[in-house]
Amino acid sequence: MSRKTSDKSVIKCIGFCGFGMGANITEVDVKDGRVARIRPLHYDQLYKPEDLNYWKIEKDGHVLEPGMASCPPPLATAYKMRAYSKNRIPYPLKRVDWDPNGERNPQNRGISKYERISWDEACDIIAAEIKRIQDECGPFSIYAQSDGHGETKTVHAAHGCQTNLLALTGGFLKQARQPDSWEGWYWGAKHVWGMDPVGMQTITNNVIKDIAEHTDAVFMWGADPETTPWGWGGQMSSLISYWFTDIGVKQVYVCPDLNYGAAIHADKWIPVLPNTDVALQLAIAHVWLTEGTYEKDYVATHSVGFDKFEDYVMGRDDDGVEKTPAWAAEKCGVPDYRIKALARYWASRKVSVAHCNGGGYIRAAFSHEPARMEIYLLGMRGVGQPGVNQFQMIEWQLMDMPTWNPLPSCSVLPSVEGAYRGATMDLSEPFIPKTLIPKAITEKKLEWHGHVIAGIATVDQFIPFEWEPEEGKGVRMIWSDAPCWSNCWQGGNVFQEAMRDPELDFILVQHPWFENDTKFADIILPTNTLFETEDFNVDVRSGQWNAIAYEGRAIDPIGETRSDYEAVCAVAKALEKFGGNYENLYERYTQGRDVMGWIEKGFRESGIEDGETADFEQFKADRFKLFPTREDWEDMPHGLIGFYEDPVANPLSTPSGLIEYYSESLAQVFPDDTARGPVARWIEEPLDGHDDRLSSPRAKDYPFLLVTNHPRWRVHANHDDIPWFHEFGTGKVTGPDGYLYEPLYVNPIDAKKLGLVDGDIAALYNERGAVLGGVVVSERIMPGCVSQDHGAREDEIETGVGGLDRGGANNLICPSATTSKNCAGEVTNSYLVGVKKVDVLEMAKERPEEWGRAYDPEFGQIPDSWIVEA
Amino acid sequence: MKAFLIDVARCNGCMNCQIACKDEHCGTDWLPYAAEQPLTGQFWCKVEERVRGTVPKTRITYVPQIGGQSDALAAAAGDAAVQRDDGLMYLDPEKAKGRKDLCEFEGVYWNEELQIPQTCTGCAHLLDDGWEVPRCVDSCPTKALRFGDVAELDLEGAEQLVAGSRIWYRNLPKRFVTGCVVDFDEREVVIGADVKLVSASGNTVAEQKTDEFGDFMFDQVEPAVYQVIYQVSGKDARTYDADATQVDVNIGDVPAA
Repeated sequence: MSRKTSDKSVIKCIGFCGFGMGANITEVDVKDGRVARIRPLHYDQLYKPEDLNYWKIEKDGHVLEPGMASCPPPLATAYKMRAYSKNRIPYPLKRVDWDPNGERNPQNRGISKYERISWDEACDIIAAEIKRIQDECGPFSIYAQSDGHGETKTVHAAHGCQTNLLALTGGFLKQARQPDSWEGWYWGAKHVWGMDPVGMQTITNNVIKDIAEHTDAVFMWGADPETTPWGWGGQMSSLISYWFTDIGVKQVYVCPDLNYGAAIHADKWIPVLPNTDVALQLAIAHVWLTEGTYEKDYVATHSVGFDKFEDYVMGRDDDGVEKTPAWAAEKCGVPDYRIKALARYWASRKVSVAHCNGGGYIRAAFSHEPARMEIYLLGMRGVGQPGVNQFQMIEWQLMDMPTWNPLPSCSVLPSVEGAYRGATMDLSEPFIPKTLIPKAITEKKLEWHGHVIAGIATVDQFIPFEWEPEEGKGVRMIWSDAPCWSNCWQGGNVFQEAMRDPELDFILVQHPWFENDTKFADIILPTNTLFETEDFNVDVRSGQWNAIAYEGRAIDPIGETRSDYEAVCAVAKALEKFGGNYENLYERYTQGRDVMGWIEKGFRESGIEDGETADFEQFKADRFKLFPTREDWEDMPHGLIGFYEDPVANPLSTPSGLIEYYSESLAQVFPDDTARGPVARWIEEPLDGHDDRLSSPRAKDYPFLLVTNHPRWRVHANHDDIPWFHEFGTGKVTGPDGYLYEPLYVNPIDAKKLGLVDGDIAALYNERGAVLGGVVVSERIMPGCVSQDHGAREDEIETGVGGLDRGGANNLICPSATTSKNCAGEVTNSYLVGVKKVDVLEMAKERPEEWGRAYDPEFGQIPDSWIVEA
Repeated sequence: MKAFLIDVARCNGCMNCQIACKDEHCGTDWLPYAAEQPLTGQFWCKVEERVRGTVPKTRITYVPQIGGQSDALAAAAGDAAVQRDDGLMYLDPEKAKGRKDLCEFEGVYWNEELQIPQTCTGCAHLLDDGWEVPRCVDSCPTKALRFGDVAELDLEGAEQLVAGSRIWYRNLPKRFVTGCVVDFDEREVVIGADVKLVSASGNTVAEQKTDEFGDFMFDQVEPAVYQVIYQVSGKDARTYDADATQVDVNIGDVPAA
């Protein structure tokens, strides 16, 4: 008995970084016109290990190797449920009380419902609005909200297709996205050791091999190698962690929550209160200074300004406070005796420090301080010497940097650039920082420093910018393909209010799902998923094999959906009828190529050796191509060994070329900046709009620090409607009303004080509003703080400041202020909240319409209640 | 004869096995092997999560569990079970109709709409179409789940959760007893203190010295009532009760004397 179990198989790179940086290569089987299964790609169908210069790192008989099958995460394995989600937008929609020729009712955004319209109607309205606004206000009153993580497509790029069209009609107002998952490194560490453009150690070749040879322990500081790497590159980080254990490399986790890596790999877990790492770091420095256990010779030859840091630690400066372990224990929640033990362990071992982005360590208020402090400590340990480096367990080879990869290097780092139709990194003005969008819309005047986007050198942070449009020429239209600002950025409730600004004539959203900021749109275009398109892609994040892929179309478009590229093409055609500036726009936008033409161009320009002559038909038949490991990978210098051995010949990119404990640049450019002064410090007092210490008077009303990690079962706001993720205890908590609440972790000690038990529904609240969560009483979280992943789908009972969100989208109640006054980064972790038990059945009686919206017990929120019959 | 071998110490809890099983069977029927599985509610492969210990000695252990595939279920099912030559079994969706009684077996679920019991088929439809392993095993990144001939899997010392099943385990979690010895007068952890784990009958089950963090950790000990007896050099020994019959025990940061 045998039955055919698939009709065809296509390759899909199901990574979620976006920006044309593909990952998570998988095999997608199709049967009877539906996606039957998503599974690892078995590389050995085309390659033998010897074809690939197969690498191995071996110690004590334990081998780390890339393997011959990909390691997709569950976010990819389950991904067909996003295509088949009941939350898909089926057809174009128009807000019922938005009339482009009459009353626009901006005050009702987020409240009023939608009616079905046709693609032709929608595109005609959109074209007319673009024309009108461009005529009246010029091109820069149309703000393209175009960046963002999510599906990583190329021709059909999920983010930025509209920017290329608007650029052809005279330009647009750009959104500059700051490095939201590594804020502190960008704003802080770069001023200590350069490492442009990232701030983390970007010269990490062969660090994993170096660890096998020289390192005793890896400190995972605020890092979770079992969560954040998933959306970016799969599960190689897990294999590395197990292998560290196998070869005797101890893993010490420093984080408030027992994150998913710590849960299975930690030899030691040091729970530290959210965003108090600076106190812990200072106390470690104090132990090393008082016991003389740091690399004094290295500090003398490899750094400048150490005396000023030493004075601060020892209380010999104006501050006058000695940063002893006892001083730190009170602030960071780690007992003084454990701080000393940790400091001495570190001083007597070769330790490398690993990061995975996200978390309170690097996304909270003043995040530049813990980042700078870490580099200070690494300097005291002689960073660059064998066994001592900083490295990432995620984002290998990001931004086309072959040096930013601790694993054996590949011979080719391929790119989708030739076919990429998404947003490009255009630095020309005008632009506004993404963190300042609500202020831009409502106050219509901004000042800030730097382009703020990832990928730029440190000196950019010293350039002042301002944006002050002429009256009436502020943001008049938003064209968004990333409608999740309010549950991914900071102060979402403020953003919601900005969406109702009376001068904001038109909000256009194109998106596959009815979620989050989509319901603040005036017109919604339904776009589709990667299964519904044919495309070109790369996998450059796995740590296994760099690959290029021809991605066949798996299934027909669902409903009336089109790809993002096709949707913008339709708008281009509608604009053409106005002639003039818009003449021949479709031809100009597509450059006369059909989709296959773009795919072939992408293939030929991908970085393959024989691009112009390579057999494209054969590539399509093969579906993917892997690139072998570099022949000389073992000979490449290990991490920062060059700087360690000769800092003069191999300087850092700081002004002095050395590690700068005191930054002369910061002292000169920002003499009045007390948050990011020339030497990093512990900031206890309210400053630059932040007042979120447990010692603050605010903590009387809001006594807990909230940990809002990058989510385990989502990538930011993606994936929240996948039913299979709702069935784990860590996925969702079912309330007494059958609703799936976002888990809220509470330590048993705090739960007892609060009268909470497993399964209760609780509100997290502060002056900015409240969000709900399903209580999990757990030893996963230390006392004094509570934890709820960020990015849950919004389900607003009341929008705006002071509002209530049932979905648990805690970004809505984050502080609005940026990292600090001269750093336009986001602050989305480690802020004060109150926690109280609520009775959802009683609450529902007060607002029956909002609480009674259409809801699917498996998928969660569905758009049915938002759509009315025309 | 085929079997599954699951190494619990290698399971990272990613849930790929549980998800892949649903990806394969929810919304798709593979008759005559398997009827469609409802979108949610059934777990032919299910990863159990155990949160163990207390802050800061918390750990999580994941135990993947595969339903069906046992002699007892096959015997109870009689004609409703299809016994394959490779040793796997599945419930025949036709012949098992109405057999709600079979849901008393671990991992067997009742499909109300179809009026059939459903459980793991070992992905027999895939094996018969040329696959070497079922979906759960194919999707496992760490090779915690393996599938193959009994002779090749080396089941020596492996254990079962269900006797007479095709599912074998290594490193099933037992208990740990842990703590940290601190000299609270000196505000220092105590390194090198002698620590004994003593059974109810007074036998020393294990002994170790506290490490550089003052910690001791008796791992993979049998569930039982114990005493922890430790002695810091030059000071009196101290004793703590550690009832590890039901849960792992962290006695916390305890005084040197």
